[in-house]
Amino acid sequence: MKASDIMTKEVVTINGSATVADAVKLLKDKGLRALIVEPRYSGDPYGMVSETDVIYKVAAHGHDPKAMRVYEIMTKPCIVITPDLGVEYVARLFSQSRIRRAPVIQGELLGVVSASDILRKSNFVEKPKQLFIEDRIDVAREEARAVCKAKGETSPDCAAAWDVVEELQMAASDQRSKQKKTDGKSSFEVYCEDNPNAKECRIHDD
Amino acid sequence: MMQAKEIMTKEVVTVSGSATVAEAVATLKEKGLRALIVEPRYDGDPYGMVTETDIVYKVAAHGHDPKKMHVYEIMTKPCIVVPPDLGAEYVARLFANTRIRRAPVIQNGLLGVISISDILKKSDFVEKPKSDFDRYCEENPGAREARMYDD
Repeated sequence: MKASDIMTKEVVTINGSATVADAVKLLKDKGLRALIVEPRYSGDPYGMVSETDVIYKVAAHGHDPKAMRVYEIMTKPCIVITPDLGVEYVARLFSQSRIRRAPVIQGELLGVVSASDILRKSNFVEKPKQLFIEDRIDVAREEARAVCKAKGETSPDCAAAWDVVEELQMAASDQRSKQKKTDGKSSFEVYCEDNPNAKECRIHDD
Repeated sequence: MMQAKEIMTKEVVTVSGSATVAEAVATLKEKGLRALIVEPRYDGDPYGMVTETDIVYKVAAHGHDPKKMHVYEIMTKPCIVVPPDLGAEYVARLFANTRIRRAPVIQNGLLGVISISDILKKSDFVEKPKSDFDRYCEENPGAREARMYDD
């Protein structure tokens, strides 16, 4: 699954010069947790103002939201992601940079992806996807070779080390085949899924 | 100033620390919540909390299997709790100082949960910000003008 599969497409933008009170009103009216601040000119970065910014930087100090501007509290530049980034990498990026939300950009603003989107719309529960599994296979293989050299080719430790390699390889091929099943469907398969009663799609069991 | 109990969310769902992360995800999705409270196991045991951020940062980000991980491995316990009569602005300041977004409201038991969304959507910080005079008095409690006469 990719960022574009789970992102929220309804995005509301705001001008950096708007007041915080305006931003709060928009957040409340639209039921959102963040607004995107669009670039002012080509080369200007995207920005974002979130519910957290408003509470931490305005409400917490009793400042007057009508007298403060979005540009005083927004995050700009903000971290942006591309629509084809895998969901597991979006989660990893969020975790490493301690963010919860990022605009999805490719040429233009396509949507926003948040921790809630990952939790609610991705398939990480049904299909947990191990990251960097190919790298882990390489490491396990090197370790197995070292163990076998030290303890002997027929030692139980050597066999156990190779079992680890084999398990990882199986997990990797499992992930790949699952991906193929969903992404690499032939157009005929897609057609039959959409038109299960079509003559060409019948399966004869005799 | 509005108090925590006036703006908190009263519908609270609890989860056991020994539940699996997959169970917690199912509950969060079903109830449309962002956090679950882990109740104390015995008298003197603290409250805990598990949020959608915990799940995304600690499980999804590593490709761990949520069916094989448990709530106690990723929860925050003890978590920061808020008394029901704390003013909304102080809740906001506590949240800002400790970098949290949500806390259970506790007084002789679990009363609710208060989040930054509750403060944003239900409190009156836009309509009634502190006046300059209020802020001056808070910064200079010894100033003559800041004295309060009670009679």
